[in-house]
Amino acid sequence: MLISCNKLKTYIKNSEDIDWENIWNTFTLRTAEVENVIKKGNTFDNVVVAEIKECIPHPNSDHMHVLKVNYGEEEDIQVVCGAPNVRVGLKTAYIKVGGHIDNIEIKSRPLRGILSNGMCCSGKELGISDNHDGIIELPNNYIVGKDIKEYLPIDDIIVEIDNKSLTNRPDLWGHYGIAREICAITNHELLPLEIKEIPNNLEDLDIKIKDENLCMRYSGLKIENIKNNETPLDMQIFLYYVGMRSISLIVDLTNYLMMELGQPMHAFDARVVKNIEVGLANDNDTYTTLDGVTRNLTSEMLMIKNGDKYFGIAGVMGGLDSEILPDTTSIFLESACFNAASIRRCATSLGLRTEASARYEKSLDPNMTDIAIKRLAYLLEKENPDMKIASNLTDIYKKPLKESQIILDKKTLSIYMGKNLEDEVVTNILEKLGFKVAVKKDYYDITVPTFRATKDIKIKEDIIEEIARIYGLENFTPKPLQLDLTIKEHETIYNEEYKVKRLLATKYNMHEVNSYIWYDTETLKKLNITKENVKLLGKEANNILRDDLSLSLMNIVSENFKNMDKFKIFEIATIIKNNENKRVLSIILTDTEQHLANIYYEAKDIISYLFKVLKNKKAILTDNINEYTYYDENLGKLIYIDDIKIGTLNVLNKNCTNKLSKKKAIVTIDIDFDLYCKLNKEKMLAKEISKYPEVVLDYTIILENKKYKDLEEVLKTFLSKLIKNYQLLEVYENKYTVRYTLGSDYKTLEQKDLQTFQERFIKHLKENDLKIIE
Amino acid sequence: MEEKLNSLKEELKEKLSEAKKEADILNIKSEYVGKKSEIANILSSLKDMSIEDKKKYGSLINNTKKEMENLVALRLEELENKSNITFDDSIHFEVENGSLHPVTIIAHEITDILKRMGFTVVSGPEMESEYYNFEALNVPKDHPARDMQDTYFLDNGMLLRTQTSDNQIHAMENFKAPLRICSPGRVFRNEDLDANHENTFFQIEGMVIDKGVTIENLLYVMQNLLKEIFHEDVKVRLRPGFFPFTEPSYEMDMSCLICGGKGCPTCKNSGWIEMVGSGMVHPSVLRAGGINPDEYTGFAFGFGLTRLAMMKYKINDIRVLNSGDIRYLSEFNIE
Repeated sequence: MLISCNKLKTYIKNSEDIDWENIWNTFTLRTAEVENVIKKGNTFDNVVVAEIKECIPHPNSDHMHVLKVNYGEEEDIQVVCGAPNVRVGLKTAYIKVGGHIDNIEIKSRPLRGILSNGMCCSGKELGISDNHDGIIELPNNYIVGKDIKEYLPIDDIIVEIDNKSLTNRPDLWGHYGIAREICAITNHELLPLEIKEIPNNLEDLDIKIKDENLCMRYSGLKIENIKNNETPLDMQIFLYYVGMRSISLIVDLTNYLMMELGQPMHAFDARVVKNIEVGLANDNDTYTTLDGVTRNLTSEMLMIKNGDKYFGIAGVMGGLDSEILPDTTSIFLESACFNAASIRRCATSLGLRTEASARYEKSLDPNMTDIAIKRLAYLLEKENPDMKIASNLTDIYKKPLKESQIILDKKTLSIYMGKNLEDEVVTNILEKLGFKVAVKKDYYDITVPTFRATKDIKIKEDIIEEIARIYGLENFTPKPLQLDLTIKEHETIYNEEYKVKRLLATKYNMHEVNSYIWYDTETLKKLNITKENVKLLGKEANNILRDDLSLSLMNIVSENFKNMDKFKIFEIATIIKNNENKRVLSIILTDTEQHLANIYYEAKDIISYLFKVLKNKKAILTDNINEYTYYDENLGKLIYIDDIKIGTLNVLNKNCTNKLSKKKAIVTIDIDFDLYCKLNKEKMLAKEISKYPEVVLDYTIILENKKYKDLEEVLKTFLSKLIKNYQLLEVYENKYTVRYTLGSDYKTLEQKDLQTFQERFIKHLKENDLKIIE
Repeated sequence: MEEKLNSLKEELKEKLSEAKKEADILNIKSEYVGKKSEIANILSSLKDMSIEDKKKYGSLINNTKKEMENLVALRLEELENKSNITFDDSIHFEVENGSLHPVTIIAHEITDILKRMGFTVVSGPEMESEYYNFEALNVPKDHPARDMQDTYFLDNGMLLRTQTSDNQIHAMENFKAPLRICSPGRVFRNEDLDANHENTFFQIEGMVIDKGVTIENLLYVMQNLLKEIFHEDVKVRLRPGFFPFTEPSYEMDMSCLICGGKGCPTCKNSGWIEMVGSGMVHPSVLRAGGINPDEYTGFAFGFGLTRLAMMKYKINDIRVLNSGDIRYLSEFNIE
């Protein structure tokens, strides 16, 4: 929202004491965020009032004129001008030779052969309107030769306030409310608005409200015998500076009131008004708004009706048939208050956000409607002294909003503030903001003005906010929390996640990725996979929540294959399974097709390592009964810890892999992280180390059409007191090397002990049809 | 005699310094200090000398022999330690490294700082009920945040949480007052993607509840948190804000790190970046968490981890964070 400091000054007593350029930093800290402070009127100098004395067509041009202009000097000066509205007697703005406009110096120079000294200016050139149709036309009573800034409020400071930070402050959507804040911040006095009292000795207008929850108040007034003149220049400049376009006096005045008080108003041509009714539209009706667009209505939209016909969309936009015209002489003024949520829904569903709807959405004060009408009447009368009030100020207001009371106990205030404030400080702050305060021994009895009571001031904490912000946050001393060494209940999930991530990134050089909680529809389609799960409402694509984390990462896999042949990624994230949130760790290893075995073994290694190092537990892999068909049906494994299934190891099947990238291999691990976090770390106990040295023996066994599992079965059945442990050391083609560590707790092993062991071992293998390389 | 011994020593030194191989030194050893060496001869001639001479030269000869033997031993040691480079020691390979996601790194940093202030880290569900996401947080039914345009509603009656503030309620229910928690997590907003907008991003929530918690405590935690994160003198300012779940509410801005506060497109020429929403916990929220607002007060805050990561690492397109593009992510070290 744009705010004019010139306008603010008119509402504040002794406003000249305020530093209008620098107050806005403080305003940001006290009230709402100021985005920009722009100085106006500094784009030109040496512009004076001038009168055209002579006007003849330019001999070498079809549209220019050669003027003799009186600008306060003894001799008139010759100016060439291309504007169409030049005529003898016109008073306009003239920039002298040597003057500047937009940093360009104005000089004497010939235009099509005739010398032009200085320049007559349009409103646009002066930056005070967007009118460039001709030179500006000044009122006749302006004295020739005077600086134009003496007449018009061109020098101004325009402040842009972030609308978002005013969301909760309906009272700040007009200049008067901003002025009230400035008064509270700078400790100044707010002046009352000048208004015209309406006698109410005439007839009421015919106004009905069908639903008082949607339209809380409707005030109307009929005024006759007016001329829809040109708007005074100073009001035009103000409206232009705050972002409105000047249209005609009546329309401009309604806009002016919206800018001044924040109350949207509407003026209908009284010739067409029969009776006004506020009620809901019918479904499927259409209505053409002022902007010429025909809109579809629903039974949730509140309408203004005239007779039987729609007359405007309440609080959003009027229609063409009630428009104020140049020959309008009598008007019907509407000043109403509508339900915020209803207006917001209506404006949103129409895709039509207007200055009016933006204000109604904020919950305006219904007690403002009649003041706005009286204020408009006051301002209109200044331009139309002969105007006639033609009706009572008709006011439909069934449930008037009353001021509310809030008790704020001093103890709560001092807890929040961290200090005790003097009654005088509290009272002064609140009264400047429009509250009334009765000071009691232990509490304040506070009366909340209705312009604050519609939305943001409901409870004592709201009052504390008012006091704290005007008191000034920079006047607080930041204090650390007090020491409390009680051991608190604790959740370990975050730590567990971080430990696993760190291990995967450092030990296995993997990259952590972040993805979306839904499947990528394109990827599923490409892989020919159909998924049924919880869905996002109102979305056509990417709308199915994932129930398999690894699968949901396949679009990331596919993208990375464009840049590299092998990579390793992981993520710990949420999936939705059986309607529940579930945390899952997914690890994906990729390589070219011929290296499938390598990454498959690495995956097994990762699983064992993870559980061994972080939980001191042994992971057991068993054959998988495959849950999903897009994984290879033979290579999948279930991961068990303590006989509980905790995850899966899978290989994406060839068909799907090829669709992602040709001749690649993709191995996935999914671990149920909720279960993982619940696993207790196995106790670690120190073990006795034998005093006697251990001996290591390696045996290489040839497996023909057999797996290590078969060998393992055989090794398991070979028993000897000497065996400390054995492990698979190396595999080369079909040659498996197994390492036995032998030892005794009672003696150093002798050659004959080893000899006996070896003979028994070889015999055992041979009995089981295994070949050993001796 | 002295001269003789000295010259023998010098001779040995010279020979040793010329010798480059172990075998050569061993030869020199037998020649100069061996059984048939000159010094051995001199030593054995000692017994034929007069008592006077014995006194005079005895220890000198013995010491010289020891010195010479030492010289040989030192030279042998020297040669042994001299590494014989037989490989190209100038070769170096690029290090292959893994990476953590920038958001994980920043979340870890922040939770670390908060832990130092006595906070514990908790987590919460991403698929959430309307109650925890809105109602319990004092967000009324007709609030714009509840619109379909902003929130992902699901066909099972739940929604994807729009903020980590749901964890305020979970934490109060789980831990009761007093408490100090923080909670990083993924949140969702129904937005179209561009360089500055994502529908999936990370926030962190913080909450403190105790007897007598004040606005001053809130100020302390807020102001010091960002200073710790950026390790540089970040200017912060607090200004009034509005959130349904806090009262009073504050927005915290920090000076823009891209332009140093002078004004740039990132900060919309204001020199300030909106960073943290915070405030004193609304009494209705305390009540929803089963805590008596007449007994306890508290403050809460929340801010965008994704936004912070972008500021800290100067990431100019938010979309890369969820792209999984390793070329981009691998730049991020573990710490």
